[in-house]
Amino acid sequence: MLIEIAHFLSILSTGLFFICFIFSFFLNSKDIFIINLVSRIYSHSFFIFLSSFFVYVWLAISDNFSVLYIAQHSNINLPVFYKISSIWSAHEGSMFLWIIFLTTWGAVYNLFTSNDQLLKARTLGVISITSVGFLLFLLLTSNPFETILPVPPENGADINPVLQDPLLAIHPPMLYMGYVGFVIAFGQAIAFLFEGKPEIKWEKQVRSWSLASWSFLTLGIALGSWWAYYELGWGGYWFWDPVENVALMPWLTATAFVHSLSASSKSSILRIWTLLLSILVFSLSLFGAFIVRSGIIDSVHSFANDPERGLYLLAFIGLLVMVSLLLFSFRFNLLLSNKKIASLSKESFISLNNIFFGTLIFSTMLGVLYPLIYEFIYNQKISVGAPFYNAIFVPITLIACIFLYFSIDSKWQQSLNIKSLFQPLLISLTFSATIVILAFFQFSITNLWTLASLLIGSIIIMRYMIVIYFYFVYRKFTNIFSVIAHCGLGLLIISIALNDNLSSERALNIKINETEIYKDHQITLKNLRMVPGPNFDSVKADFLIENPNGKTFTLTPEKRKYFARGQVTTETAIHASFLKDIYLTIGDQLDDGSWIVNIQFNIFIRWIWFSAMMMVVAGLLLAHSLSRSRP
Amino acid sequence: MKANRKQRLITVLLILATSATGSFLIIRALDSNLDFFFTPSEIFKEEIPNNKRIKVGGMVLEGSVLRDKTNISFVITDYQGSINVEFDGIVPDLFKEGSGVVVVGYLRDKTLVAEDVLAKHDENYMPPSIDIKN
Repeated sequence: MLIEIAHFLSILSTGLFFICFIFSFFLNSKDIFIINLVSRIYSHSFFIFLSSFFVYVWLAISDNFSVLYIAQHSNINLPVFYKISSIWSAHEGSMFLWIIFLTTWGAVYNLFTSNDQLLKARTLGVISITSVGFLLFLLLTSNPFETILPVPPENGADINPVLQDPLLAIHPPMLYMGYVGFVIAFGQAIAFLFEGKPEIKWEKQVRSWSLASWSFLTLGIALGSWWAYYELGWGGYWFWDPVENVALMPWLTATAFVHSLSASSKSSILRIWTLLLSILVFSLSLFGAFIVRSGIIDSVHSFANDPERGLYLLAFIGLLVMVSLLLFSFRFNLLLSNKKIASLSKESFISLNNIFFGTLIFSTMLGVLYPLIYEFIYNQKISVGAPFYNAIFVPITLIACIFLYFSIDSKWQQSLNIKSLFQPLLISLTFSATIVILAFFQFSITNLWTLASLLIGSIIIMRYMIVIYFYFVYRKFTNIFSVIAHCGLGLLIISIALNDNLSSERALNIKINETEIYKDHQITLKNLRMVPGPNFDSVKADFLIENPNGKTFTLTPEKRKYFARGQVTTETAIHASFLKDIYLTIGDQLDDGSWIVNIQFNIFIRWIWFSAMMMVVAGLLLAHSLSRSRP
Repeated sequence: MKANRKQRLITVLLILATSATGSFLIIRALDSNLDFFFTPSEIFKEEIPNNKRIKVGGMVLEGSVLRDKTNISFVITDYQGSINVEFDGIVPDLFKEGSGVVVVGYLRDKTLVAEDVLAKHDENYMPPSIDIKN
């Protein structure tokens, strides 16, 4: 009975969202009565949909295996936490969650935006019709409410063990929250274009929303990368897998978008760019959903393949993008600004930044789609590997950072005073040159790209230190959020460069009480234990590691065998210190009783996520401060 | 007016030239970094240079896995052709005889020297373009 109620509530809310859309676009949306009406229908519809989700969560907690999806992805033996997160462990449920977040953003927007705002009703209309599109997709092609009747199975099939991890329970929600958060900016942009009144300042209103979604997206990607690092046992943080790339594209676009938003919310310059980017961010988020869920691209992350789903999503996204672009071209003349961008002004740097981001987005898109095109033309399967992305991303990011460096002191609509650049340049260049020389002689880093990255990463950080100094000593105005985020960028570049250059790994073959030596570290296998877990059996191997300074510590990597599917997973053991991670995984046991062990020294890897966190914090704080300063 | 037009023309030409050079560089980078995907039966029909990184997908042949310390060798097959693989390192957890793998590596004397051995997260995964006849 509960299943049918949840199903019915979802259908009901789909209808209500559609009514909301109709009212907002076909009635006079300036009438306060209509705005109130639309706002109210939206909240009701949202609550109905939300209750449907909560009922579904309850079904999962209470092990209701008459629901096909729950029977396929949950299990009686799972802890409650994973029973809930099993909902988003596969296609149908994660789509459900995706729409929940989509409508939640709308609901929060609805709550915090006063009803006398011109664009409010239409923005809600855009959010509603997008939700309707996805709800129909959910209900028609991937229904999570499908039942197994009359006899439900006694136990479910369990979720994939590698997904039974606290971090993976929160990584998809964060990521989805980021993806769909841009619906606010998209909705406002469409509403603005539909209205066609250039005097409406929609950019100001969406800044904090966009920054918040950008932060969630950054957080989601960083969490995913961290999870992959410690759970999959490969020891890397980014693999240029197609599915990672489709998350990177909206992120790059969103980053360009929040930058050009800050310019166009000050003056009408760059307005066209901002509008285009707002459409692009949201479309790329949807495009990501299409790539992941259609199975069109072969990836380790992709969901089960179903051409029908792909076709629906493609048609829906295509329609959305076409309508948006049509509207855009129709209003193009209204948006033209006769103001010229002053050379070396902040706007000019942001335009340059847009071009760099555009190149990166284009290259990533090409890398994702090229295998498809190639197979279609030559009937030969190919894949585009990391070297391609490195060849593009490394130089472009570094060049962009040089421009970032010079943009730090630039002002809105004013040329930069070139003379004022010299003193800070001298100081920061001395600092970063010292670091490079140190890296070259002390750590014998000879790779030119690594040295260049060190130089540019550290020069940015040092430059911002000077900014902070001026802030405290001369009370010079500083956007502290920008300082934090860009220092994060500098740190990210340094960390990636050092990690890439200095990390190393080796496979060892070791018996109990034997000692192997790797890079002056003594590694001894002390003991093997069989330990039962809640829904798995595990073998734990105790290793004693002695570093060159004579300090010892134990690491206990693990191999688990899960009951439900008989799947074997490896749990890594990591010893984290300030500069490096010692990362241990165990492989198979050989016939002579020895074990294969993989040891990695991952240099500076924690700092990669730390710098991502700096960006997240900066984004959230700025979003918060902007939302408070709004009238 | 005329000067204005001329300036515009120059701007447009400049933009075109930069984007053309940019695209050219990107596509060149792309072309030199492609990994070709083969099945075991296709692999010896083609001329593949030693220095070309390739991917081979298929099933691990039952009884073909041999281990020596950290080295592992096995045969991957698509039931029409097969190729011997050598790898030094840890194979993924989902690696087992009779199930699907993708190997990335270089061809040396009819043997694939693996850089990486991949198995999917999903245990129901089949490498593309293989029909299992059983």
